[in-house]
Amino acid sequence: MQLRDYIFRRLLVLPILIIGVSIVVFTLTRVGGSPIGIYLSHEMTPSEVAEIQARFGLDQPVWVQYLQWAKGILQGDFGYSGVAAAPVSDIFPLKLAATMELAAAAGCVALFLGITLGTFAGARRNRLPDHITRIVAVSGASLPQFWFGILLLIVFWAQLGIAPIGRSDATIFASIDHPTGLYTIDAILAASPKAFWDAVWHLILPALTLGYGATAIIARMMRSALVEELQQDYVDAARAKGLAEKIVLKRHARRNALVPTVTVIGLTFGFLLQGTITIEIIYRWPGLGRWMADSVLRGDQGTLMTYVLFTSVLFLLVNLIVDVVYANLDRRVTLGK
Amino acid sequence: MTTIKWRNHLTAALVGGTFAFALPLAATAQVNNPGLLVHAADDEPTTLDPAQVEPGEGGETVILQVYDRLLDFGADSPELIPSLAVEVPSVDNGGISADGLTYTFKLRDGVTFHDGTAFTAEDVKYSWDRAIEMDLPEGNAGALADVIASSEVVDDMTFSVTLNDPSASFLNSVVTAMVASVVSQDTVEANGGIEAGVPNQYMAGNMAGTGPYKFVVWNRNENLQLEVNDDYWGDNAKLDVRIEIGGDPDVRVLGLRAGEFDTIETDPSFVADIEGADGVTIFKGGLLLEPLHIGMNLNIPEGSLPPEDTISEDFFHDPRIRQAFNHAFDYEAFLNGPLAGYGEFNPHYVPIGLFGYDASAPVYNKQNAAEAERLFREAGVWDEGFSVSVITEEGNLFALMCLVLKDSIERLNPKFRINVLAVAESVFDDAHASNPLEYAMWAKNADPAADPNFYLNAYAHPDGEWGEVHGFANGYRDAAKIAGLIDSAAVELDPAKRAATYAEIQRELYEDPMWIIGAQEGIVMAHRSWLKGFAMQPLWPRPSLKFSLFDK
Repeated sequence: MQLRDYIFRRLLVLPILIIGVSIVVFTLTRVGGSPIGIYLSHEMTPSEVAEIQARFGLDQPVWVQYLQWAKGILQGDFGYSGVAAAPVSDIFPLKLAATMELAAAAGCVALFLGITLGTFAGARRNRLPDHITRIVAVSGASLPQFWFGILLLIVFWAQLGIAPIGRSDATIFASIDHPTGLYTIDAILAASPKAFWDAVWHLILPALTLGYGATAIIARMMRSALVEELQQDYVDAARAKGLAEKIVLKRHARRNALVPTVTVIGLTFGFLLQGTITIEIIYRWPGLGRWMADSVLRGDQGTLMTYVLFTSVLFLLVNLIVDVVYANLDRRVTLGK
Repeated sequence: MTTIKWRNHLTAALVGGTFAFALPLAATAQVNNPGLLVHAADDEPTTLDPAQVEPGEGGETVILQVYDRLLDFGADSPELIPSLAVEVPSVDNGGISADGLTYTFKLRDGVTFHDGTAFTAEDVKYSWDRAIEMDLPEGNAGALADVIASSEVVDDMTFSVTLNDPSASFLNSVVTAMVASVVSQDTVEANGGIEAGVPNQYMAGNMAGTGPYKFVVWNRNENLQLEVNDDYWGDNAKLDVRIEIGGDPDVRVLGLRAGEFDTIETDPSFVADIEGADGVTIFKGGLLLEPLHIGMNLNIPEGSLPPEDTISEDFFHDPRIRQAFNHAFDYEAFLNGPLAGYGEFNPHYVPIGLFGYDASAPVYNKQNAAEAERLFREAGVWDEGFSVSVITEEGNLFALMCLVLKDSIERLNPKFRINVLAVAESVFDDAHASNPLEYAMWAKNADPAADPNFYLNAYAHPDGEWGEVHGFANGYRDAAKIAGLIDSAAVELDPAKRAATYAEIQRELYEDPMWIIGAQEGIVMAHRSWLKGFAMQPLWPRPSLKFSLFDK
């Protein structure tokens, strides 16, 4: 099957999957109880409670509520967030941009360090560099993020005073427009080096904390895959042809070792998104993770449903992308069969 | 089984250990962020609209800084002081009519709103009428609507109000309430106007008042910024303000120690993390006007209790049971444990620090196991035992108070069982707002108010807010007498007579308690030592700070 046909077929199935996911998301959140609690206070009389229910359509049968919710989503209305005190659709893009920026920065850290360290270790199997990389990888995977994050905060923010907390300096942030919501990109568009530096400077610690955990996974996978590839006959053949070891490693073995690693990178995306919750709370990063943590604790179901639906759809798309990249890297993979 | 995540033990242990190794933190005489006050708040506002804000909610903190009311409380006294009104009405100055029904406010001339329009009596009437007309269920419009019969613009700078009945608490608890804040008519009308029963989306996220601060921006879940109003009619504020919203409490403490935050909202359990830190001052003084209490329900619907509860629906109708619970509670354990020693015990039901509090009134302040056993035996539940559930929010002082109750009661008699249901805030709010309430006991704190009538009406009157929900009339020995005393004090304009009535009520309620009052929490606020003019007034909405008084 042609790649284009495969993508087209997957995209056709996507709406059905999304409807299925939306029903599951709606049902699961309602199993936890009515979403009314976030809007109530004990001073309210029964008639006032009924008024609130009517305001949010919660006095309707559940299936009507689902249809209203689904209809709202199609119209861009995702409900009202009790936690953010604003329509979800107003806040979600801002929070999403903040989280995506953090996840992307952490992803870059993880990719760069993971592939570099994995290659470095795999090419020097059972030698000192391999052991050192293992220590780095194991510590990255085993250090609790909240502890590692707070440790970095104490040292670099509180004690040395060289790293900031939050996403931006409020004054610098307010000095530029934010057409994309991605602070780094907006700073470039505004041609403001000061804002760009502010964005990067605020990203370093949280991206490092978040990316470090993912680095470990990628590095270990890269190392194992590379070790396996280096034992293959085609590597011996390449060496026998007289190719330099560097070329054998980079052009042959590493490329093939990337195939299983890419699958892991796809899964790592989920790890990064989940990780943002802890990281955003610790670093006061105003993204989706922190918003969702508050929403979970306070039972803000409207926000939660949007988030779960969004991440589900995102995962469907990421899986599709991973499949396509996988096929490109390994021609033995046949799509659609 | 109950799981309590009090600051997450694992987190606390790891973070505490890290603190120890990482000390000393930045200790410097240099002032960080000159010209800017950074306040790390616990909660995010749910609205910035005075007509929509719920008493005790985070939005009140901001409304206090940006809007003015006709009268206010000074920083160091519970006495009323003029604000947008130039004097406090009294019978002597002609501001209160002889029959106590009409209040006339002479207003301050030359005041302008942040939108540039001039302040007049029309704005006061508009603001109050607006809240009453919108009548939002989450708001506090009832504070105005329940007492005001009519209001009138006498002239541009004179506003008068006629009440349904004389009220001794009108000035203290209504005129100073956040719902009585004066908003700019022009701004509201230009942005959605007034619609009955419907929140104004614009005003929920924007502000136009006359206060010492102008609203700048509210970045949800991140920060809220205010700037000094240079045209303020009173003393100008000195520092712009950035309120950092929410986040991990440990990070707030860290930020204070590092000098990144000037003031932080904490509870007493954090004192140990902060005490002794360089450049940090812990303000300890006074008490919050929000007694921590456990309710006893006398109006339980049949068959509604959790399956593990063995008590009958009329369990708390017997005053001996209610007294026994009050005697059994280990007050000192609660005060010295979760409250870290910061608090006092107040009588039923007038908080210490309010008019009407009687220092000589009897108070449940010490566990008396023998008396509790005697009363439980007399009530006939000692031998058979009982199991009862208490519902509360998880992970806070309320949950810890419930654990103290559990420990106190179960230690008394192994046949007694308290099931602590510590649930998410929204689940608790849902249960708590139900009428009738389907739990025998629940724990929370009282809403703050500036007048004893509020507390006694809400928490003691048989026909009051909780009296009705909990069915106090089913249990009081003499419900009519208690109702009569509270009602008469509410309209008594002679302070001495009013105080005497409140003293009598406190004695009556000791014998016939409807709550277990764990303690009245002490005020503990940590701030950087470079902050000048620090003051707290528990009669201001929590965290009881006016940023305009501060300087660096």
